[in-house]
Amino acid sequence: MTAGRILVVDDEPQIRRVLRTTLTAKGYEVQDARTGEEALEAVRKSRFDLVLLDVNMPGMGGLETCRALRTNSEIAIIMLTVRDSEQDTVAALDAGADDYVTKPFSTPELLARIRAAFRRLPVSVDASPESVQLAGVEINMTTRRVISGGQEVRLTPKEFDLLRFLMENPNIPIPHARLLQAVWGPDYGGQVEYLRVFINQLRKKIEVDPSRPRYLLTEPWVGYRFALPEKPAPK
Amino acid sequence: MVAVTTAVCRFVAVNATTAGFAYLLVVLAVATAWGLVEAIVASVVAMLCFNFFFLPPVGQFTIADPQNWVALFAFLATALVASHLSDREKKQSLEAKLHQREMEQLYALSRSILLSDTSKAVGSQAAQHIADIFDCKGVALYDSKTLEIFRGGPEDLPDVEGKLKQVVMQGAPVTDDATHLLVAPIILGGREIGGLALQGISLSDGGLQALLNLVAIALERVRTEEAARRAEAARQSGEFKSTLLDAIAHEFKTPLTSIKAASTSMLGDTAALTPQFRELATIIDEEADRMSLLVTEAVRMSQIDAGKVHLERKSVTVDHLLRGVLDHFSAKSEDRVLGVGKHEGLPRVYVDEELVSLALRQLIDNALKYSPPGSPIEISTGLSQHHVLIRVCDRGPGIPERDRERIFEKFHRLRPAKDRVPGTGLGLYIAREIIRTHGGDLWVEEPSGSGSEFCATLPVRDEDVKG
Repeated sequence: MTAGRILVVDDEPQIRRVLRTTLTAKGYEVQDARTGEEALEAVRKSRFDLVLLDVNMPGMGGLETCRALRTNSEIAIIMLTVRDSEQDTVAALDAGADDYVTKPFSTPELLARIRAAFRRLPVSVDASPESVQLAGVEINMTTRRVISGGQEVRLTPKEFDLLRFLMENPNIPIPHARLLQAVWGPDYGGQVEYLRVFINQLRKKIEVDPSRPRYLLTEPWVGYRFALPEKPAPK
Repeated sequence: MVAVTTAVCRFVAVNATTAGFAYLLVVLAVATAWGLVEAIVASVVAMLCFNFFFLPPVGQFTIADPQNWVALFAFLATALVASHLSDREKKQSLEAKLHQREMEQLYALSRSILLSDTSKAVGSQAAQHIADIFDCKGVALYDSKTLEIFRGGPEDLPDVEGKLKQVVMQGAPVTDDATHLLVAPIILGGREIGGLALQGISLSDGGLQALLNLVAIALERVRTEEAARRAEAARQSGEFKSTLLDAIAHEFKTPLTSIKAASTSMLGDTAALTPQFRELATIIDEEADRMSLLVTEAVRMSQIDAGKVHLERKSVTVDHLLRGVLDHFSAKSEDRVLGVGKHEGLPRVYVDEELVSLALRQLIDNALKYSPPGSPIEISTGLSQHHVLIRVCDRGPGIPERDRERIFEKFHRLRPAKDRVPGTGLGLYIAREIIRTHGGDLWVEEPSGSGSEFCATLPVRDEDVKG
């Protein structure tokens, strides 16, 4: 059994080559694509657990590919790019990526990021109810389905894990570092912009008015807090 | 005319009073048609004729009746006053005409200067326009900034150069009546910016001043446009360089990514590597890092040089800033850095966190690299009125006084370190530019002990001082 199926998308053959060699050696099953269009085609044809996606590609760029992948899939996406400003990070996360690695990267770092992307928050049976019903939104913890305003909204695995972690610790401010480590893994802690982007995405998906959130509240200089208005009614 | 009048009056045999008025009309006509001198001559002649032919005894210059003396002098006085008035009127109208012409010429000049083609030398165009419009035999225009002399008009004005320069030095106009040459300085804002030599020009003082002002404005306009064009060209070239470097950086990073991924993959597989291959893989890995850093810093430098860096400032605590910086270093290096997290009392600094972190990282990285392994790096902070002062001190060999400014220059590296420590020679330049863009400064202090001491000041907003 493989450790997971990874699609490597990069227009640079040598990078595809080295990633294929390295990841295969680590037990992953690897397929590659040269362009965004090819990647979408590959994802349509078979199932992958994770996409390593280069930002700078001719034709359909990485960001656009990422958005296209996100419209109908919760697949884990890690973006690879040579630019490392906060603006670029936010652009990648905004496009729906779960994580972001700056080129040139070291293999151990990339492997750690891949493990983090595969990671799922373990379900703590005692703490979480099966389903939570809030005003205008219903969140099912087991099926990972969210119904907002009568419609199902798609949450990426990381978005869902973040939401769940916050909901399992309601009404207390949770520091940035703790959130990052719980959802992404022990190697994380300083990437506050990840949280900013993900919380924004979540607000858009579950809040009635994302600019004036009722549930996902910012605790300035500390972190975030999930405000649970009353005791949720278990279904 | 006086003779004709005399003849007519004699022939018609009018009385003395009528003849007197007829003479008066003649004098007025003369005064209107010619000048004052002619009018006076006519008055005197008319008086004599009047006396001779009409006042008794007729045919003699003697006057019998004293009343006729009064009449004669009244006649003379009236004739003189009338001719004087008429002459003055004529002069004024002539002056007004000249004035109008001058105005028209100046207007024509200002138009042609404003519409002149800036792609050609405006000085020579202006000189030619002046010669054409003011009908000048020779014009020489001296620009004291470019030291050029532009000529216009049919005459060459030899030896005018020295005179022009002299006039610019003295600041007062000089006229040479013998050659009809007028040389005047062109002054703008109390400063001589050139000189103008004009041959055979007739202009009032006011007209000349207006002409000089026009030329001054023309020269200044060209200079301003030139300066703006240069600045724009420099900006574009900086931007071009920055864009080009950005593209090159991307091209370099692509193979570096493969190299780095391959080398770290090899190093990650501890069991498969012999010590010799491990050493070789380490070298590949380190050099890939160095090349990557060089490319990154070159791009950053060109962005700074092209003025492309935009600060996204916010208020952050110094503690937060320093902790963020330290996150970047490995645990081993982090242990060497002392004094982080002891800066509670300080106000928040108002900075672009990403860029300032980069600058501070550079300082700490520098201290780590240039001091003995294991020796501590101390960070201390202080507060001056609108700045927070951050000091980074190491226990290294220190920096000789003569190099304390030079280490901030692009690509400057101290010789002994050049051979031992990898680096690009851009880090400190970038760090200082970042801090200066924020309105702070970065410098090397005279160390209190051994080692070197870098000081950076970061701005604090007024509203954050109290907090």
